[in-house]
Amino acid sequence: MRPGPIHAADGDDAMQRDDKAPPAFATRSGIPLKASYGPDDVPADHRALASVLPGQPPYHRGCFPQGYRSKPWRIFQLSGFGKPEDENERIKFLLKNGETGFLMEHDRNTADHLYNVDHPEVVARREDVGMTGAVMQSVREVAICMDGLPIERTYGHAGGAVVQHAPFALAAYWTVARRRGIDLRQLGGTGQSDFFLTYLGCVTKQQVPTAAGLRLNADIIEFCGEHLPKWVPVSIAGYNGGDTGLNAWQELGAVMANAIEYLDEVKRRASMDITAAAQRVGGVNFRVTMELFEDAAKLRAARKMWHTLLRERYGVTDERALKMRIHIVTSGAYMTYQQPFNNIVRGTLMALTAVLGGTQSLGVSGYDEAISIPSEHAHQMSVRIQQILEHETNIPAVADPLGGSHYVEALTAELERRGWEFVEQILAQGGFLATIDSGWLHARARENQHAQSIAETNGQLKVVGVTDFTDDITPFEVDGFPPVSDAYDVALERLHAVRRERHEAGASEALRNLERTCRGTGNIMPVMMQALDAEVTLGEVGEVFRQAWGDWKTPELV
Amino acid sequence: MEAAPRILLAKTALDGHWRGISVVARALRDGGFQVILGGMITGPEIVRAAVDEDVDLVGLNIGGHVEVAERILAEIRSSRPELPVFAGGVVAPWAAKRLRALGVEVFPPGSSLDDIVAAARRLTGRERAGA
Repeated sequence: MRPGPIHAADGDDAMQRDDKAPPAFATRSGIPLKASYGPDDVPADHRALASVLPGQPPYHRGCFPQGYRSKPWRIFQLSGFGKPEDENERIKFLLKNGETGFLMEHDRNTADHLYNVDHPEVVARREDVGMTGAVMQSVREVAICMDGLPIERTYGHAGGAVVQHAPFALAAYWTVARRRGIDLRQLGGTGQSDFFLTYLGCVTKQQVPTAAGLRLNADIIEFCGEHLPKWVPVSIAGYNGGDTGLNAWQELGAVMANAIEYLDEVKRRASMDITAAAQRVGGVNFRVTMELFEDAAKLRAARKMWHTLLRERYGVTDERALKMRIHIVTSGAYMTYQQPFNNIVRGTLMALTAVLGGTQSLGVSGYDEAISIPSEHAHQMSVRIQQILEHETNIPAVADPLGGSHYVEALTAELERRGWEFVEQILAQGGFLATIDSGWLHARARENQHAQSIAETNGQLKVVGVTDFTDDITPFEVDGFPPVSDAYDVALERLHAVRRERHEAGASEALRNLERTCRGTGNIMPVMMQALDAEVTLGEVGEVFRQAWGDWKTPELV
Repeated sequence: MEAAPRILLAKTALDGHWRGISVVARALRDGGFQVILGGMITGPEIVRAAVDEDVDLVGLNIGGHVEVAERILAEIRSSRPELPVFAGGVVAPWAAKRLRALGVEVFPPGSSLDDIVAAARRLTGRERAGA
């Protein structure tokens, strides 16, 4: 990367510099960089933490004194496509290759929109069905996807990345678990129900409004608190803000502001202990990019900010709740279409960044990320990258190896400072949901998207194999993972079978209960569990939601 | 002065990632084009919007299967055979080949924005628009 910041020149942000001339060297988020760092570059209040060890508050050095010795990071790759049996086969392949948790991806077209495959919007694009995520319209299809997966001892991600889909995806997973005789109180795993994906990064054609989304998430948090104490109910995924354009400290600030929204809602409801809720919400996802030191420092800053937020705003003192657990996904946006094998190097560097910064789980984007969903080989490489880091480098032997570096500590302190400023800007506008509803957060992402494309166009930012060094002698073509051709037809057949075979009176009653609860104030999850058990389908749940809550008014994006 | 050429940008799939289309739309606007955003609309809706808005070019953001894009292309061509179409998005090499064989210029991830704007000028016969 050539000198110069590529952050946006913001008019209304508190990041204007006194000095109009851009600094000669800077991180991608615009933090000026010196040629070298000494003790005086670390602010005094952060320097005062010099003797803090990993496992000690405020946890910027990590939440566990033994680091990866006590628990290696979880190898946790997103996966899914085609029919549920195709996804099941890929998950088993990943587990066999050494993955230590699994993620179930549901088909975007149907799941994100709560449409069955016979919905006109889906019929118009039927070949798209199953290209990203398997089609799962009822508990039967979820059961096929989970067939033979050791969910009683393996941490699973049930899907439900998009907010309105989460109650369905979670209830389906839990219903399958219960039918297998598993005690839900012992079941570990997570969903996602992520506002960054839903309302910022991947804005669907139809979606419940943010207020309804907040209710759904608070319901999930509450329900898990009561029935699934080992489950992480929601995952705030700053990743999706980052890959949409938010820079490192914007991602930090927005994640904290999102957590405030959830925890304030829990507090308002007064139905759940705030410490228990905070512990549940404290599983957070960030992205790392090729900006190695800044992104490693970001994870350190995030843990410290979480500790501060919980103590100061919510008076939490229980150390389990004060420890943020981090899941990292390496940036897909940094993976190139051109010369895709270069992405194995990028994936390795980004994974290294996550490991150095401290993470509890990690997914590495496939080297074919910009081309298609991962092929088996790309998926295997993502696992192998992690295994090489874990077993061959000796890096995991020492916790927070970057701690004490003047440079990394200065970056950590500066990211924290800017992150809090961003939190303040969001709160001044009424909070995280308000900045999503108004489009303010999208505008911040858009400024950075634009700044990055300018920097790439004018040669300020080099991307190897793309902007420069474009000769390609790769001996064979990475052609992209081919779609499954019968995903749509099989899904349609299965939808008809459910409608034909289910106990119709039971399904109708469950749907009526669901509708009543949506229009009322009770927790939606118990009735959603009944609905799934009665073989209510995805599209029917969608109809109830749309009737009850209408559609989110999408701000201007582009 | 000649009116700015008009481009309809539409997404073929129900995948709401918008970063790519945002960056391309901005580059085209900066390049002197008037950009009409169709969002996630179906083939018939794209044809209708192209007629209603009297556009000079359609840009398809492909986030799914190439067959959906091919069907949309056929619908556009049966209604307005002279209307040029170009495409971008996560298009695997095998899929890009199919589209190029149908006369559609394809700009996969990593394409230069200058090249995209130049193609838009060429396809609308306004090599010097905004230049």
